[in-house]
Amino acid sequence: MASKIRVVLRPVKSIVVRFCPFESNVESTRKFLGCINHKKIQATNKNCEVTADVRHDGSEPLVDVMFADGERLIMKGANLTTIEMLTALGSRCNAKELKEEQKGKKKSP
Amino acid sequence: MAALSGGGGAPWRRGWLPALQFVRRGSKAVTRHWKAMHFQRQKLMAVTEYVAPRPAVPPRCLAPRKETREEDNGYVRLLRRQVEEVFRNNRLIAVCQYNSMPGEDVVLMRHYLRKHNIEVKFVLNEIVRPVLSQSKYKNLLPLFVARNILLVSREAKVKEMLRVLKGVPQINLLGACIDDTILSRKGVENFAKLPSLEASQGQTVGALALLPSQTSSLLQRGSAHLTALLDQHIRRLQAGETGSPAEPGPAQSSGAH
Repeated sequence: MASKIRVVLRPVKSIVVRFCPFESNVESTRKFLGCINHKKIQATNKNCEVTADVRHDGSEPLVDVMFADGERLIMKGANLTTIEMLTALGSRCNAKELKEEQKGKKKSP
Repeated sequence: MAALSGGGGAPWRRGWLPALQFVRRGSKAVTRHWKAMHFQRQKLMAVTEYVAPRPAVPPRCLAPRKETREEDNGYVRLLRRQVEEVFRNNRLIAVCQYNSMPGEDVVLMRHYLRKHNIEVKFVLNEIVRPVLSQSKYKNLLPLFVARNILLVSREAKVKEMLRVLKGVPQINLLGACIDDTILSRKGVENFAKLPSLEASQGQTVGALALLPSQTSSLLQRGSAHLTALLDQHIRRLQAGETGSPAEPGPAQSSGAH
């Protein structure tokens, strides 16, 4: 199910996924990382760097998304499901795409 | 169609066809368009509608039925045995998260790791989890969520493994079990920086042997010091004797002592 959600990563500059694998609340974050690395989603933006930061300090899982216009989205995955995280990211990306399209339309004519 | 309406005059009704009695004109019983049922038929259908039987006691009031566990598939048993074997035979078992990689990259990575005698095994969590929960590796259980692969090897060539994994961004090392010791990612990196076993053994032996080698010289230091002092004294006396003949006095006193 989570692989069916399509996220367009064009407005995203980088994604850092930080988690501690020996904790028990990292399942959704790890699945999120797996879905983000899917080839179809990666194909939407080849310049987007996805980094996985594996630690062992008991910190909670974190997804840090840096957008191209400087905005930052931090998702704390301890109590979120994979689908929620993907839809949140997807909706923000779509909103940014729409904004850019409108800007492009305003400039062109 | 309406020509043969035999219900009319003849009293013996030889040619009475009930179908034609009721249908004067129009369609037959089976039509291509939707046709409303006859009213009597409608009533019959309404009366004879199916009513599902309801159980006397609603099912949620009864005790819950214990789900019978599926019998163990032979294939599942085989895979479990393989996993147990892997954990028994190999010194180095590294658990990594596998994010989807293109096929050629997988093959290349397997090739580079095979050169260092490291095998790549794809594992299913449902098989590994029960095996681990019954063995002594219970603390590795939280690692087995989402897609994982195991890198196993009989020797512990951690540096080479880390080098190969650095070149593959889609595989994230989560932890490892080296010589029955569970290590986190940082632990694995520290382990890679350690000197080899022979070098550390040599260092330990050297450090331990250093102190006993000094013991003999320590014990002999006192008497060696005394000997050196006496030698010096004699030399000084001999030097003094050549100047003046006062030597026998101190020689006799030292002999008396």
